[in-house]
Amino acid sequence: MFFLTYLRRELRRRMRQAIFIALGLAIGIGLVITVMGASAGVKTAQAKVLRALYGIGTDVTVTTKPKPPSGRPTTGHANATGPGGGPGHATVCLNGKCYTSGTIDTLVSGDHGALSAATATKIAKLHHVSAAAGGLLLTDNRIVLPNTSSSQLQPPTSTSVDGTDISHPRLGPLSNASLTKGRTFTNHDKNKNVAVVDASYATAHKLTLGAGVTIANTKFTVVGIVTQPQASSPPQVYIPLERAQALATDPATGKAMTSQINTVYVSAGSAADIGAVQKEIQHLLPQATVTSSSDLASEITGSAASAAKLAGALGKWLAVLVLIAAFAVASLLTMAAVARRVPEFGTLKALGWRSGRIVSQVLGESVVTGILGGALGVGLGFAGVAIIDKIAPKLSATVPSAAGGGGLQTQVAGPGGASGPVTGAGPAASHATIAVPMSASVTVTAIVLAVLLAVAGGLLAGSFGGWRAARLRPAAALTRVA
Amino acid sequence: MDITYGTVPPAENTVYRLAGVSKIYRKGGREILAVRDLDLDIKAGEWLAVQGKTGHGKTTLLQLLGGLDRPTKGRVEFGGTDLAKATESQVRSVRASSFGFIFQTFNLVPTLTAAENAEAALIPLGISHANRRMRVTAALDSVGLGDRAQHLPAELSGGQQQRVAIARALVKEPRVLLADEPTGNLDEDTRDEIIALLDTLWRERGLTLILVTHDSAIARRAQRIGVMSRGRLSIREDTRA
Repeated sequence: MFFLTYLRRELRRRMRQAIFIALGLAIGIGLVITVMGASAGVKTAQAKVLRALYGIGTDVTVTTKPKPPSGRPTTGHANATGPGGGPGHATVCLNGKCYTSGTIDTLVSGDHGALSAATATKIAKLHHVSAAAGGLLLTDNRIVLPNTSSSQLQPPTSTSVDGTDISHPRLGPLSNASLTKGRTFTNHDKNKNVAVVDASYATAHKLTLGAGVTIANTKFTVVGIVTQPQASSPPQVYIPLERAQALATDPATGKAMTSQINTVYVSAGSAADIGAVQKEIQHLLPQATVTSSSDLASEITGSAASAAKLAGALGKWLAVLVLIAAFAVASLLTMAAVARRVPEFGTLKALGWRSGRIVSQVLGESVVTGILGGALGVGLGFAGVAIIDKIAPKLSATVPSAAGGGGLQTQVAGPGGASGPVTGAGPAASHATIAVPMSASVTVTAIVLAVLLAVAGGLLAGSFGGWRAARLRPAAALTRVA
Repeated sequence: MDITYGTVPPAENTVYRLAGVSKIYRKGGREILAVRDLDLDIKAGEWLAVQGKTGHGKTTLLQLLGGLDRPTKGRVEFGGTDLAKATESQVRSVRASSFGFIFQTFNLVPTLTAAENAEAALIPLGISHANRRMRVTAALDSVGLGDRAQHLPAELSGGQQQRVAIARALVKEPRVLLADEPTGNLDEDTRDEIIALLDTLWRERGLTLILVTHDSAIARRAQRIGVMSRGRLSIREDTRA
């Protein structure tokens, strides 16, 4: 009771100084919360990108490098080679066969090599693995050759296609999608020509439920339309894995990819098991590329990555420096206040007060000041995060595309005999740059940290002052009065 | 206020025994002998006035008697305990229970009321809040400040502040009252009031009063006067006779 009365009166007497110290701590703590909020926002944005790449439940993906194409011109990337055909029709040669008219529509595996479908089953049996599903990330390349020599050769088009393992709806790119129309796949769709399409693709191609979409010269009926998070670079068309395997061509062999996959999506037993899962898979498949979310995060470039680095490095150190400065100022001011109160503490010692009691009085005052600074700091932190939310531009993230290349790079001999590459656009690129909305938020961790920092700041400042008060000899303190 | 000089309280028991006490301060490489080879017995209930010029060791002697400082050599026995050798905790305990201090500059905590300042002296004794309140009220009444209990020091006159300091010294019912120039900052009328109050309390409570003063008129009211000169003490007995 007496302790609190004394504390309250003393703080009231030194209100301006207490507010000054509290404000200093508040700025430091507010900055820490803001940096943590911004950092969390950038991480969330990155996580959105990563989730969109491989799905919510996927912790690890397994791929292999593609084998070089076989000797004959069955080019893995469906490279169609124009012989420079001279005047007349454009000529495109593919897999050893040359075309001068009609439509060439091929479904090929991209940057990833083929794996046996049994690989997913083997991985699923590993100790730390919760589930594993195979998938085929493919690109459908389409070239329409002009019927007449006078017609212009249109650039080829590419569509990213995901062969989805219907029996594992929680793994793979489709697991992250939200259904907006129709339905998703059921077990009855395994061998049916049904497709789920991305909403953006559907809009661009005016596709509605029941409409047809052609993949590898096969017409698929659209049964569902989905959206992926804004930050993602999703496949444009999803078809059942079995149908993809039947229609796709492995560029390395030029044969259909029956019973083959090119990506395995793996879910670990727990977040702590991800490292162990990576090791187990690497042991099982020494040639495979085993990638975790954190590996992918390191591959992200663009302003999202820069912002992450900024928040992680500069922001963190700035916050630490401001905090150190605030703590130092608080400690110095508290020591100065104790110096002014030497006669008071000397008198209390003469009255028989223990040094510990005097120290706890000083500490109590500092901790209350610190808590006040902490409360103000949390408010400043919320304000800082709100400002970041308002003014932060959209971040861009350049990520390794899930479709994994496979874009059509076609060398076409034009009617005039000139020959030059015509490159497919969009998903064919192995890297995609996407806009990532950044939404900073104050986390419970940040608030808890703020309170701890505030108390620590108060204790630190008070302990310096208290230490000085404890060292006072009563006679010396009272001499100061005289 | 009428001042009467009654019978001197019985002073058979020795409360202080100082033997061969010296105190040396070191300042800027120089040694200052504040108290030298001092031998002194003080009886319980005695009033000893200490006079002397500034810087001749009066306050140092008072601090040694009050356990606020330790001698460089010699013994300062209080009630059988050598304050020179006792642990800090033991000395602090003796200070808390047995000594009341009155200072020239009052030394009140400016943020606490008169009652709270007096209460501060009871905190080390670990007594209950209700008991503390009761004793504080009685102490303030005894110095005539019962109606000023909730006033801050800044709201009181110099004389009233010194009365609060006296109440703070008395509230713990000490065996010894150590007063260092208690009237040094007061005008003449207030000085007389304070001295009369101390005289009354000394007589009524059987306190041992050790009072440092420059004022010979005040010193003459004591039973003995000690004069400090260059760290040495010479005693003049029974000044009231």
